[in-house]
Amino acid sequence: MHPATAAPPRTTTAAVEVHGLRRSYGDFEAVRGISFEVRRGEVLALLGVNGAGKTSALEVLEGLAPAGGGTVRVLGMDPVRDRTRVRRELGVLLQTSGLPGDLTVAETVRAWAGTLTDPRPVEEALAQVSLTGRADVRVRALSGGERRRLDLAMALLGRPSVVVLDEPTTGLDPESRRQVWELVQGLVADGAAVLLTTHHLEEAEELADRVAVMRAGQVVLSGTQAEIAETQPATIRFALDAGDPRPPVPADVQVVEDGRRVEWRTRALQPVLAQLLAWAAEHGVVLRTLAARAGSLEQAFLAVADGTHPSLTEENR
Amino acid sequence: MTTATAAPTRPTGPSRLSRVWSLASAETRLLVRNRTALVNSVLVPVLFVLAVPALGLDGGDLPFGGRLLVIAVGISLVMLTYYNLVTTYVARREELVLQRMRTGELTGTEVQVATAAPTVLVTLGQIALIAVGVVAIGEWSAPVDVVLPLVALAGGVVLMVLLAAATTGFTRTAESAQITGLPFIIVSTGLSGLFYPLSVLPETLGEVARFLPLTPVVELLQLGLAGQTWQGDAVDGSVWAAAGVPLAVLAGWLVLGALAARRGFAWAPRR
Repeated sequence: MHPATAAPPRTTTAAVEVHGLRRSYGDFEAVRGISFEVRRGEVLALLGVNGAGKTSALEVLEGLAPAGGGTVRVLGMDPVRDRTRVRRELGVLLQTSGLPGDLTVAETVRAWAGTLTDPRPVEEALAQVSLTGRADVRVRALSGGERRRLDLAMALLGRPSVVVLDEPTTGLDPESRRQVWELVQGLVADGAAVLLTTHHLEEAEELADRVAVMRAGQVVLSGTQAEIAETQPATIRFALDAGDPRPPVPADVQVVEDGRRVEWRTRALQPVLAQLLAWAAEHGVVLRTLAARAGSLEQAFLAVADGTHPSLTEENR
Repeated sequence: MTTATAAPTRPTGPSRLSRVWSLASAETRLLVRNRTALVNSVLVPVLFVLAVPALGLDGGDLPFGGRLLVIAVGISLVMLTYYNLVTTYVARREELVLQRMRTGELTGTEVQVATAAPTVLVTLGQIALIAVGVVAIGEWSAPVDVVLPLVALAGGVVLMVLLAAATTGFTRTAESAQITGLPFIIVSTGLSGLFYPLSVLPETLGEVARFLPLTPVVELLQLGLAGQTWQGDAVDGSVWAAAGVPLAVLAGWLVLGALAARRGFAWAPRR
């Protein structure tokens, strides 16, 4: 009834559209005019340190809180006004949520399935998150990771075409985490639009087609991973022995020295590295622990987190 | 624009009622697994009926079984429906279960109703049990009017659910419900005419008490079951003629309760 081939084609119209979204708690403005889109068959990762406003933004999208300003559309509909139709298409995994401890896993899923329009069979839902063998166990007795996977199974139970996952793998062991990633990749392959928040950069790198980095309620960086990585200079790191001469510093290279350890930051990795290696060969110097790395998403994220990223304005630094 | 992204046609799915029942039956299962709560809800009414001789209700010239049932309904509504629901709602909120339930296809009201369902069922079961007990001890007499007590019971149950939902707004933990629920419990049981006619109170206080939330429920029950007015007199003429004020007060409280529940109910713990 729901073969993968029946998935809607990838369209250019976004499944999720957020424009100028604002949200305040009293005097504190947690979300300060953010915009982003998520298309079908795409994962957008919303990154940011705790308190950046990610969850506050998601709650509006999930229809759990009203927007203070701006517009949010899910499949062209308002999450609050068109709630019934939006919810049928929306799968939500909250950052923290609870389930009654005295129901078994299967009872919990069955009760939830009974509230949905078009649920997956309970067995399929449990198999999806490898909880088949735990079907008759009380929720109270599950491990933290198992509970998280049960939560995920419930989020996906209604065959949602738009999926919002707030830190889906927090507290999971590496194997479960990889399994969740595969699950998300499967959803996307079937045409779902996935919006997830995380502070595991590895997770964003693994899953995200596009990334938006939030800081203090604003999206300060967004684009593909490559585009964001490019905002950062490449780094060359090496260490010199005590008696070694110092290499000449090429133009446009920023130097950070820490004792004998040296770090060069440059926008021209290849020529600068070639120059360094040529100099070392000529002087017979061994560059210990030599490492060269292009700018990365992680580097950009950390630069945003500690307020040194060049794209930050006075307001959100 | 929306045509490109419109949801694919899907089955309409189960009815709203069956969706709510799915959650409500899970809640009921939870209650059944909670042995203490279950034993209490059966034991309390049995003890209540057994304690009748000690209550000293005997000897009035009005039907005794009816008065007993009025007291039972009043106590069940306040101590079970209201108090138990404040505790349940707050516990579910603090466990983050309510917020989770609200992310699905059920509306907020449907989640609230489903959560309340087992408590309401137990309330009705208790009252039925006591009615049976009244018959068993031979004190049953046919009610003067059947509709008024049913209206009182239905209105009373809904009002208790609404007031419980409103009370969660200023109740931080399930334990603190013992304190936040107390004013309503004391005032409504003490000043509703449940144990004595309001006419024994000073006149102004009695008049004011008629406008408290539980009073119209008690008044309507007494009118219907025992044919007795709020002042403790036997009704001459139609009981419906005497029911106007309590019906209006009950309706008013239902509206106020709905507004308070909408405003006060918190889905997630305060951060």
